[in-house]
Amino acid sequence: MGLTMKMKKELLLLLAIYTVLCLMPLAVHGNLYLMNILITCLIWAVVAASWDLIMGFAGIFTFGQVAFFVIGAFGSAILTRTIGISPWFGILFGGMLAGVMGLLVGLPCLRLKGAYVALVTFAVHMILEPFLKSSVGRTIGTGGSPGIMSIPPLSLGQYEFSSMNLIPPYYTAVVLSMISLLIIYKIINSTWGLAFIALRDSEVFANSLGVDDFKYKLLVFGISAFLAGAVGAFYAHYVGMLSSRILGLDLFLILMVMLVVGGMGRFPGAVIGSFITISVSELLRPLENYRLVIFGVIVIFLVLFLPQGVTGLLFPVKGKSPLTRLGEYFRSRWRTQH
Amino acid sequence: MLRELLDVLISGITIGSVYAMMAIGMALIYGVTKVFNFAYGSFYTMGGYLAFVFFGFNLGYLPVLALVVPALFLAGMGTEKFIVRPLRKHDNWEMAAVMITLGLALFLDNLYQVIFGSYVKSLPSLFTGNLNIGTVVFSVQDVAIFIVAISIMFLFMIFLGRTRTGMAVEAVAQDTVGAEIVGIPKDMVFGFVFGVSAVLVGMGGILLAPKYYVSPFGGWNILVKAWVITALGGMGSIRGSLYAAFILGIVEAFVGWQFGYTWTLFAWFAVLLITLIIRPQGLLGTWG
Repeated sequence: MGLTMKMKKELLLLLAIYTVLCLMPLAVHGNLYLMNILITCLIWAVVAASWDLIMGFAGIFTFGQVAFFVIGAFGSAILTRTIGISPWFGILFGGMLAGVMGLLVGLPCLRLKGAYVALVTFAVHMILEPFLKSSVGRTIGTGGSPGIMSIPPLSLGQYEFSSMNLIPPYYTAVVLSMISLLIIYKIINSTWGLAFIALRDSEVFANSLGVDDFKYKLLVFGISAFLAGAVGAFYAHYVGMLSSRILGLDLFLILMVMLVVGGMGRFPGAVIGSFITISVSELLRPLENYRLVIFGVIVIFLVLFLPQGVTGLLFPVKGKSPLTRLGEYFRSRWRTQH
Repeated sequence: MLRELLDVLISGITIGSVYAMMAIGMALIYGVTKVFNFAYGSFYTMGGYLAFVFFGFNLGYLPVLALVVPALFLAGMGTEKFIVRPLRKHDNWEMAAVMITLGLALFLDNLYQVIFGSYVKSLPSLFTGNLNIGTVVFSVQDVAIFIVAISIMFLFMIFLGRTRTGMAVEAVAQDTVGAEIVGIPKDMVFGFVFGVSAVLVGMGGILLAPKYYVSPFGGWNILVKAWVITALGGMGSIRGSLYAAFILGIVEAFVGWQFGYTWTLFAWFAVLLITLIIRPQGLLGTWG
């Protein structure tokens, strides 16, 4: 299958972003603050993009992405601390744990519709915090309310990553996020992607043509949870400590803002959204509590006036404007009449 | 033992009545406008804070309610008119409506925090003292909460079934296009429904304030609870929400009594999940 114009554009944009990202340390390698922000952006970009894969492309209304991120993070942290496996395997296992959880959550969800799916996935998010703090959680090793304080960092050979030199974790984040984004790119541009579009546009008709929505949707549940979990595990080893406070609503809402800013269902909008949102958030930091008030206003205005997000501004969808569609409609009528 | 059980049951029914009132508001919005309102919890908090502000002028309960109820109604109607209605012309507007109400919740809750600070605020109690009937002791406040919540719901049901406006709301819920064809102003009904639901949940905020206080982000818990109740009852079914609220209110009271209130949501989700496995559309819901 050859690359279509849309795919070429997406791939070129991704390539451009990553070229800039690879060169970034040349300019800011001495500045730990900026390096840390860049790594944070990359981490949230993957979570937002995996969320966009399931919500924006597959059209499944889920709110469990932060929960899968946290499951991956805690899974890897606990495994590396108790069994002593390498954090690199921890990332893989964290992702797999989250992926399995994603499949388990996906199973009941696929019997449900719309707001119910959102509720069940949000329920996973809501009950994760009391679970991590409970005595059951403490026995597994979640550390209860204070959380886990010392998580082994990633290492290459004898060299251990530390917060003094952020170049190695930065390039790890670049590579990990690039792999994740390529997986997502591959999925949305494969037959799966076509199946999703067909299911979104007319579920009954797509089913009658033999598109099995159950299989595709369940797999996308698993894959998006895997990606969120794997990057969650990387986050755990990068930051070095974890607590259930990460499940607070701030992060959840900020991720939502990223999707809205980047444009839902517009690859690689989530990445652009992540960088813009984190940058704006850092710039607005002096405003303290007003920051989130302003974010709320930004979301409202974006949804009202820029529903396709920044990506929609960069690449407007052709033939999608209401006027064009109206024209097509009348032309087709004209043709049937003559 | 039996006395204790009775107390728990009574407290379950009391809290259930307030939950019912708030869940009906949510079922109403979802059933009529098909919008999932994520800012619903923020209107709950709004009720509490508005009452707090007006109590600051040394007003009694009745004048405060006379000021808060219209304010909540206007806030709800404004939400529909200015931020939800413009979205309807888009293709994927349901998702956009969720996003925009999430944005509104983010805005409102953080605004409350900026204005009132993170500490909880309390409202004066409605009544104090206890009522003894035989050997059973009722707190007068609980009885008052129950009576107020039940009467508001009763009034609302009469309004829905007996008045022209109420029937217009039902007509739009059943068939939006059909209602529009026979000349029912759809947009006005949508705005009205948002206003009424804001009043219902905001009143809940005032009724529960003496028990749970008012805090900037307290609405999220209520949003999730109202959501679970409407999902259990069948999204959009008002009667279903009514039953579900009392069932879950009693579940909450018993779980709180036996295991502690942190396990409430676990128990609720368990009840919901079991019900959804048997009936994916909820107790009285229909797909569509």
